[in-house]
Amino acid sequence: MTTTPWVCRNCLSRIAWPSIRRIRTSIRFQSTGSVVESVPPALLARARNIALEHKQLTDQLADGFDTRAAKKAGEYSSIVNALKEWDKASESVTELSSLIHDSDAELRELAAEDLDATREQLQNASQSLVTSLVPIHPFAHLPCLLEIRPGAGGSEAAIFAGDLLSMYQAFCNRSGFRFTLLKYENVNGTQEAGVPLSEAILEVDQENAYGVFRCEAGIHRVQRVPVTETKGRTHTSAASVHVLPSLQENSAQNEDFDDPESDYYIDQKEVRLEVMRAGGAGGQHVNKTESAVRLTHIPSNIVVSMQDSRSQPKNKEMAWTLLRSRIAQLRREKREEEMVAMRRSVVGVAKMGRGDKVRTYNYGQQRVTDHRSGTTVHDLDDVMEGGPTLEKIMESVRGWLMEQDVAAMIFEGDTKKR
Amino acid sequence: MPRLPPSILRRAHAIDRFLPPLLGPCRNLRAAQNELRWLREHVDKVAKARHAKGDTISKGSLLGDLVRQRARGKPLQYILGTEYFGDLEIRCRPGVLIPRQDTAASITHLVHLIHAAPDLPSELRLLDLCTGTGCIPLLFRHELFASRPSISLRALGVDVSYTALKLASHNFQRMRKLHPASFNDPKAIEFIKADVLINPFSDYDGGSSIKAALNYHRASFWDILVSNPPYVSSEAYRMTTERSVRLFEPKLALVPPNMDGDGNIAVEREDTFYKPLLTIARDVEAKIVLLEVSDVHQALRVARVARALGIFDGVEIWRDQPGVSEETPSSPIDDIPIIGAGNARSVLCWRGKGAQWLGKHAVSLTPPTPAYHAER
Repeated sequence: MTTTPWVCRNCLSRIAWPSIRRIRTSIRFQSTGSVVESVPPALLARARNIALEHKQLTDQLADGFDTRAAKKAGEYSSIVNALKEWDKASESVTELSSLIHDSDAELRELAAEDLDATREQLQNASQSLVTSLVPIHPFAHLPCLLEIRPGAGGSEAAIFAGDLLSMYQAFCNRSGFRFTLLKYENVNGTQEAGVPLSEAILEVDQENAYGVFRCEAGIHRVQRVPVTETKGRTHTSAASVHVLPSLQENSAQNEDFDDPESDYYIDQKEVRLEVMRAGGAGGQHVNKTESAVRLTHIPSNIVVSMQDSRSQPKNKEMAWTLLRSRIAQLRREKREEEMVAMRRSVVGVAKMGRGDKVRTYNYGQQRVTDHRSGTTVHDLDDVMEGGPTLEKIMESVRGWLMEQDVAAMIFEGDTKKR
Repeated sequence: MPRLPPSILRRAHAIDRFLPPLLGPCRNLRAAQNELRWLREHVDKVAKARHAKGDTISKGSLLGDLVRQRARGKPLQYILGTEYFGDLEIRCRPGVLIPRQDTAASITHLVHLIHAAPDLPSELRLLDLCTGTGCIPLLFRHELFASRPSISLRALGVDVSYTALKLASHNFQRMRKLHPASFNDPKAIEFIKADVLINPFSDYDGGSSIKAALNYHRASFWDILVSNPPYVSSEAYRMTTERSVRLFEPKLALVPPNMDGDGNIAVEREDTFYKPLLTIARDVEAKIVLLEVSDVHQALRVARVARALGIFDGVEIWRDQPGVSEETPSSPIDDIPIIGAGNARSVLCWRGKGAQWLGKHAVSLTPPTPAYHAER
């Protein structure tokens, strides 16, 4: 007689399950809170144009390899794939919609069953198409700097700025962002904590940080009874948050001078080299000690002359180093100017009042409202502790930003058409 | 020489009291300031070295002394004891010609041309006649090692002066200490005494001819012959040569002697050396010959002599900066191309494999490839 060992029913049924549990990953790039129902026609036209261009590029690549074309084709391929998916889904939706009016009851039932699933597919396809079309912010991958300063509202604003700082610090701690406090200054001009804040700069030293915190830039308004208030009146004050992408300064050391993308790259043909020559006969006739070297970068008209060393090659080398760093500095300054322009577009310097707020923290109602995405949450304490509620608000704003980008792109497309 | 305006002297004095005397040889404020800085650095170095020995010197009086010497026209290189020749700091002493930047530019360009040649022999042989401080073989080896370490350079420097030979050997030993990587072989560069102008077949026995010396050293064949011979005519020596050069640098290295090796009075005295040099080049079967000259007229004369010899496949003239192309390239004179910017400085001749080493064959043999893909 064979003895069967007793096996628990739960364990027995577990055997039938797949050994590796499916991990449900839900990666959402530039995800939106709102669902894109249909793809705007301008965006669709753009996608079709891109698909056409992609086809031309692949034809061209079939004939011969071209690095630039290959790169472009690679960039477009995600859009083209998304468009294909969308086409397929929308086609089947139209097909099923026509079937739903069919006279055959059984067929109608089947179509109705399928239609829901296909609609969902279409929705997903639209979503991914829009996401692939919306350009990723050029600085999204960079670490960022958060600058917090009190706005209108006197010392109450300064206290609130301090609250905001601790909110972001808590948020970083909770979501695992590395950060360093680059600057902390209270209203007394010291670094003592607990006193109302005058300025704080927080560096979030992690990739993609700018993409995450970009939505935080703007005026944050607070409505509460300040601790300094004796008569129990509610005050409204504001603090400003600036978010800047942080471009690593010290990356200069490991720059590759021959890489045309590098700030330090200089085309040799664009530089005129002049060395001090003995006048007259030269050669054995003269014995000069001049070893000066002068480099002129023709496009930018930067002139570097070097005469410190008695060795001309050494002077030349030093002059090149100097010229490289000057040109890199120029390029960096230009980029920073662009960044300043961008920053102004986010928060106008003049718009530091209570009116142009992006978010309101209302302590009386325990409410936080973001005015851009229109999201309201009622767990103010969790927000101020940098909890999941803050994450929720930030995500809604990121979605709003993306919608803005899409709208801008559609607008651009419309104006181009006219 | 025009007088220095008093205003510049006043300005110089306002900056530093040592500057006005330096303006004499330097002629402009910027150069004088540079020289004063270098002199100061030198004085600091000397004082430090003395201090290490337990000796002390007055920096101020030493600097004043050096400035006075310089004001009298003594070349700064003799005062400081060194001159940069390319990347190398070559030691200079009175009695030996100070290396010139133009020579370094030619040598660097020559190495730059041949370093990528595919069929260079693993031991390249360089003969430098009238070597002086030995700067040419030293720089040649240093540059070749930097661009192509697999090829070793064996060089022989020849000079007629014992002072020069002693300094050249000293420089080689110094380089072995300063750049042990590129001068690893103690036998790589040798210096011997011989006289270029002595005809090996004449019965004059005051010194050894090149041929005899090479035979003695069992080194009769050389790939490259380089020379910076005396090439200043006695007239130019009086008129164009700088006072400081005339007063302090050896005339032996600048002006060729009156007679050539056979005792004939040379017609063009400044060209005395070139014919013997080209003859030696023929005898040692040099594939590349680079000779420094004074100006474009002498360059053309030398080039014509080289061509008349009938052994070279090509001749060209290099200017002070052979690597720099002028905006308006000068047209060849007598079919002799002139390359670079500045004054005509050297004559380059090549034959046989030398053409390939210099990359000359690519121009003459292969026609330019037609641009088939131009339409794309």
